[in-house]
Amino acid sequence: MQKEAAIREPLILGHKTYHDITEDVCRPIEDKAPKMWYILFGIALIVGLYGVGCILYLLGTGVGVWGLNKTIGWAWDITNFVWWVGIGHAGTLISAVLLLFRQKWRMAINRSAEAMTIFAVFMAGLFPLIHMGRLWVGYWVLPIPNQFGSLWVNFNSPLLWDVFAISTYLSVSLVFWYIGLIPDFATIRDRAKKPVAKKMYTILSFGWSGRAKHWNRFEMVSLVLAGLATPLVFSVHSIVSFDFATSVIPGWHTTIFPPYFVAGAVFSGFAMVQTLLLIMRKAMSLEAYIHTKHVEYMNIVIMVTGSIVGTAYITELFISWYSGVEYEAYAFLNRATGPYWWAYFAMMTCNVISPQLMWFRKLRRSLLFTFFISIVVNIGMWFERYVIIMTSLHRDYLPSSWSMHYPSPIDIGVYIGTIGLFFTFFLLFARFFPVLALNEIKSILKGSGQSYKESPDYHKNH
Amino acid sequence: MANTKKYWKGIDELNETKSFQESKESEFSQSNSIESFLADDQLSESSTGRRDFLKFLGFSVAAATVAACEAPVIKAVPYVMKPENVTPGMPTWYASTYYDGASYASILVKTREARPIFIKGNKYKKDGKHFGITKGSVTPSIIASVLGVYDSERLKSPLKGGKKSSWGTVDKEISAAIQNANKVALISNTVISPSTIDAISELRSAVKGDLEHIQYDAISYSAIRKANELNFGKSFIPSYDFSKAKTIIGVNADFLSTWLMPTEFAAQYGETRNPESDSGWMSKHFQFESVMSVTGSNADYRAMTKPSEEEAVLKYILAGLRGMTGTIPSNLKKEADLAIKSLQEHGKESLVVCGTNNTGLQQLVNEINDQTGANKFTIDLYNELFMFQSEDEKMMNFVKGIESGKYDVVLFYNSNPVYSFPKDSLKKALKSKKVKVTVSLNSHSDETGSLCTYNCPDHHALESWADYRPKTSHYAIAQPTIRPLHDTASALESFLVWSGKVERGGKDSTVAYDKIKETFSNLSDADFKMVMHDSCVDLPQPMFEDTISFSKKNLEPMPTIGKGVEVIAYQKSAIGAGIHANNPWLHELPDPITKVTWDNYITMNPVEMRKAGYKTTYDQENGLSMAKVAVDGVSVTLPIYPLPGQAPGTVGIALGYGRGGNGEKIGKSAYQTAEYGGYEVSKNGKPKSIGANVFPMLSTDNNEFYYSNSGTLTKVDGEYIIAATQIHHTVMGRHSIVRETTKEIFDKKGKEAYNPAHTLQTLDDDLNHVEKPVSEFDIWDAHPVENVGHRWGMSIDLSSCIGCSNCLVACQSENNVPVVGKDEVRRGREMHWLRIDRYFASDEEAAVGTKKNKDSFSYDQAEIAALNPKVVHMPMMCQHCNHAPCETVCPVAATTHSNEGLNQMTYNRCIGTRYCSNNCPYKVRRFNWFNYPSYKKFTEINPAQDDLGRMVLNPDVTVRSRGVMEKCSFCVQRIQATKLKSKIDNKKVEDGSFSTACADVCPTNAIVVGDWNDIKSEIRTSSESDRSYQALEEVGIRPNVWYKVKVRNEQNNLLSKLQVEKKSHHGSNNKHH
Repeated sequence: MQKEAAIREPLILGHKTYHDITEDVCRPIEDKAPKMWYILFGIALIVGLYGVGCILYLLGTGVGVWGLNKTIGWAWDITNFVWWVGIGHAGTLISAVLLLFRQKWRMAINRSAEAMTIFAVFMAGLFPLIHMGRLWVGYWVLPIPNQFGSLWVNFNSPLLWDVFAISTYLSVSLVFWYIGLIPDFATIRDRAKKPVAKKMYTILSFGWSGRAKHWNRFEMVSLVLAGLATPLVFSVHSIVSFDFATSVIPGWHTTIFPPYFVAGAVFSGFAMVQTLLLIMRKAMSLEAYIHTKHVEYMNIVIMVTGSIVGTAYITELFISWYSGVEYEAYAFLNRATGPYWWAYFAMMTCNVISPQLMWFRKLRRSLLFTFFISIVVNIGMWFERYVIIMTSLHRDYLPSSWSMHYPSPIDIGVYIGTIGLFFTFFLLFARFFPVLALNEIKSILKGSGQSYKESPDYHKNH
Repeated sequence: MANTKKYWKGIDELNETKSFQESKESEFSQSNSIESFLADDQLSESSTGRRDFLKFLGFSVAAATVAACEAPVIKAVPYVMKPENVTPGMPTWYASTYYDGASYASILVKTREARPIFIKGNKYKKDGKHFGITKGSVTPSIIASVLGVYDSERLKSPLKGGKKSSWGTVDKEISAAIQNANKVALISNTVISPSTIDAISELRSAVKGDLEHIQYDAISYSAIRKANELNFGKSFIPSYDFSKAKTIIGVNADFLSTWLMPTEFAAQYGETRNPESDSGWMSKHFQFESVMSVTGSNADYRAMTKPSEEEAVLKYILAGLRGMTGTIPSNLKKEADLAIKSLQEHGKESLVVCGTNNTGLQQLVNEINDQTGANKFTIDLYNELFMFQSEDEKMMNFVKGIESGKYDVVLFYNSNPVYSFPKDSLKKALKSKKVKVTVSLNSHSDETGSLCTYNCPDHHALESWADYRPKTSHYAIAQPTIRPLHDTASALESFLVWSGKVERGGKDSTVAYDKIKETFSNLSDADFKMVMHDSCVDLPQPMFEDTISFSKKNLEPMPTIGKGVEVIAYQKSAIGAGIHANNPWLHELPDPITKVTWDNYITMNPVEMRKAGYKTTYDQENGLSMAKVAVDGVSVTLPIYPLPGQAPGTVGIALGYGRGGNGEKIGKSAYQTAEYGGYEVSKNGKPKSIGANVFPMLSTDNNEFYYSNSGTLTKVDGEYIIAATQIHHTVMGRHSIVRETTKEIFDKKGKEAYNPAHTLQTLDDDLNHVEKPVSEFDIWDAHPVENVGHRWGMSIDLSSCIGCSNCLVACQSENNVPVVGKDEVRRGREMHWLRIDRYFASDEEAAVGTKKNKDSFSYDQAEIAALNPKVVHMPMMCQHCNHAPCETVCPVAATTHSNEGLNQMTYNRCIGTRYCSNNCPYKVRRFNWFNYPSYKKFTEINPAQDDLGRMVLNPDVTVRSRGVMEKCSFCVQRIQATKLKSKIDNKKVEDGSFSTACADVCPTNAIVVGDWNDIKSEIRTSSESDRSYQALEEVGIRPNVWYKVKVRNEQNNLLSKLQVEKKSHHGSNNKHH
């Protein structure tokens, strides 16, 4: 057990015992689901299925059902892709980077954040698949031996790097998440009374027995995976940004993109974590574990990354003028003052101004304000991608090809659908999986629990 | 011995071995009968294991699934007997002639396996002389006419009362009616076929009473003939030669696209527009016009002239030439004065033409051309044009005659007056059934045909024999390139049959051929064959020494245009007078100026429109305002289009639209299609026609069809989304895209003045800042195409390109480019591999692409075209970059670079990420958003969805499926064919032996293609010209396409100041280092 300075705010509020923690985390799984869960799940499922319907129509008819045209080959599809990938970043950052930095507050949020990562990457991965004109030959992007005259993939293409980056990211995140879940599944297994549930959790917990050897291996594997996942936090979105940075299109061709995208991703990811957890702590009565301090920590991350993003926007503007490149200058002038000025305005307001409000302690500790800002940031970050992708394309080099983009109902349907699917997954996760890393939380109870902090001898009595 | 002969199957049988005996017994084993097999108890016990069952089940499901996935097989049936001269896979070319009443050209028809699939102009020469008078020029409608053969709504047999009939029946009845008639009228467009004229006289002689042949063209040029009758004593149209004119003045005459003989004039004009020509001169072109036309967009000086001002312009010029000063509206004075100066300077080496069908104005033109001497130099009075013999007055009398019941029988041949005759009066007359027998020889049951008792469809031009005499000095033959597809008959034959001279010949009839041969009876068989082979023969021009001379006559009345908005009915280059209104290629061809497809509209100057509160911007969601134009009680409601350069106070509406509104079957693509397939339906329950018909608005004052009138313009509620391929109109001062200079600067200054290389800053060895051309920077390995093997390249002269759009249609035809229809064009998804970017100059630019002042340049203002802007047409297609940005980004290497410098697209490999298209700086890649050859949205318009229509597809080019990217291939199929041919001939690929479809049909030879590695090739020379530059050179992508600076023969002080100053600026920089 580590000692922690007494002036640090406790991470676990109230007079919790180990058993209380187990009870608190397992209760939603073991109890009957509340009515609200069914309502939310129903809505999410319907929206998700509508999205699936739109996707089937898209696949049956052709990419033409979207609002793309000869000038704008990507718009909502890749915007959504980048947005979802970005959202995913927070989970990995929390579980890997914060683990390496021994940030104990992460334990309250890492499980849900990782789940969010995985579901967000699912949603993200969907878009590059369905945006293809011929999905049925999409496996050609994999460098597999073939008999098409030994055709190989093009290793120059950033889109191919994406394939590797996203698939690696998804598999590492999934494994990391699952490893963390094993001890918790075992706890649920041990408590489960219904035979089906018991059987399921037995399978899921991989025969975990809680022996010291198991814990030892668990720690080792977690550390190794954290080491593996940490570079991914930076590489995935860097590579996603290469899709644009390596191109020749003014507004895309920007060397600042990799750090700017990573910061943006963490920014939007934390916002999404806030959105989800602020609801979850209330709905699942986890206020003792996820409280103002956690929210404040996350808001600080949002503030820092938001400032990086803001700096990047302004740097871009400066460089567009300083470079003296006619096309570059116009691309940014057009972003700010052209037909899509409102998207740029939305992006600037949401992403540059709103995180600066977090300098105020009062605001960053306000849960309601945080919830509001988290939504604003995610809207802003969607617009950021839309602005980068779409406004750069819609007026590039030859004015003869300049065009406008109007989303079709299918564009909107697919996007809304992925939000529905995401929440469907997340609600299932909240219902059947331990939403807090309960065994890990226990490890900080005596170091950072409120009771133990307030009366250091508390544990002697309990 | 003979009886004991024994046959055996093996040694065993011969020797009757034991094992043989046994096996013989059990050959058809009965030991285990079916009954006993089924009754075997063990059978039910030895059940197939569950695992086996699942295996079988799994296998069968998989097998059934795989089998169901098999693509349907469409069998290609080979020839059983190989026809002579047809080698499957090898095209056969026929020299032929095109004439549809509106345009004429000597053409070459490409057939594959006996199907005509491509038409181009005959550019070949024999003994240094061109075949035909058109020198290989064609128009978009001629190229696209090949699609008409496969129009599935052409009449497939004769009709009687709208019902299918047989030639036997209709011939009998029509012959009887004609032969017993007192008065027969034959309404045709101008007939220039000597054999047909002969056949018509045969028919005339068979009539009991009289046959009146009225030639009626939808677009009338009768005023020229009348004016000439007055001034020269002979009703004729002379030959014009623009190639000799150093000063060209056009007054509302779109001679490069629609007026008179654009197939002749475009090439002639092109010859005078080369600033590098050996003769050293370049024509100076003034255009006074109302609606910005293709011709006007090429003019060096263009003045916005109302129809009511034409008289003043011509009189002012005439007065100026005579040393007097006339009066002229102040807005036209500058150009008119310059025109006078130029005319005086060049004298007879000039040409003034006027496109207005008014005798008085044409007389003025005659006087000007007489004053300058052009009548005897650029105008050949002795080589008469026999086309356009429309007799307006006769036609008007004919309509009155029908109403009075004068005619017993009326025949319509290649003429659709019910559609095109003004005021709708003919339709009413025909509907009143005053005429007993009406016969239409038109190919469709069109507006006229559907009102006729009999339809006796003529062959398509590519199915029939014909001869033509377009000019005094020229005869031409059109030969069939395919056996008639349907039960149709040549009109020539019909006339002869109805006059009782010949019998029907059926599908393989030789009647027309025999008749033509008879016309050429003074030729020997071999000579006739030669004429047929060449498609034409020049006649020695009869020498009349000055038998025609000009005499001044009192001027006929000038057009009377009342107060109000002046309305001009003009022709668009593709649709013209509406003959090809069912041709989807032509409908989808963007208008060269407005870039609008699939519609006609009211054109108006945007400056005026903004004042009047009309919308002047548009895109796929934002429509244009609607307006109603009313002329003499006839009104049309159409979207109102902002056309810069339109004369203020005027509006223009294109003719040729609004066809088939009463459900006439004029072709599947002639109607508006709905968003999810099928047609839009109008109030009368019939498919909605495209656009509106403005023929009823024409004026018939002075007994001439006059195409301008005064009327009213009122705003109507509602908006209409127009389908335009370009929604941004200026080039935003981007000098690396379009470069322009004047003849003066070009002659006097060096390349660095008007075509400076783009430079970048770098450090030299001594670490000084120096500027070096972009070509010296390269982060890539050079592509090994320079000086190794072939390197295909193209050069496009922006000076010669007139924007006619031939290249666009030819490309569509050659490369099976799908037609996508209005809705998809609105969404910005047209599939054209080649487009012509049209840029208007803005007030911020000194010339298109040159900023007036870099520091105060306003991007907002630069988006708005000037009141009367300069125009540049820029053909744009895949630039085949040697460092192609599209190639690096494709994840599956579906687009790669060939070792001949081509950027290749492998459709089969494409997975459709569209990344390549995004990363293309020229945005020339086209994505198959849908399955165009089968998706229901395109059934009506895409020929590839029609059993007949798909016969036009070029078998050398893959028809692309859904989800793949496509783009210009430099006609790689032609490159391959040329290389193979050279290989067979055992020689190197010669310069000029390969041409792309676009270069093939360019009337001004603005497009040059060839092997750039061949240092003597035309493309190499052209690319090394001082005028050559590469668009977006600074991106560093090394295109294989060069553009040549547009040179205007004008005085542009601002531009010369900028270009000359810039040079000195550079000079001082160099000194500094």
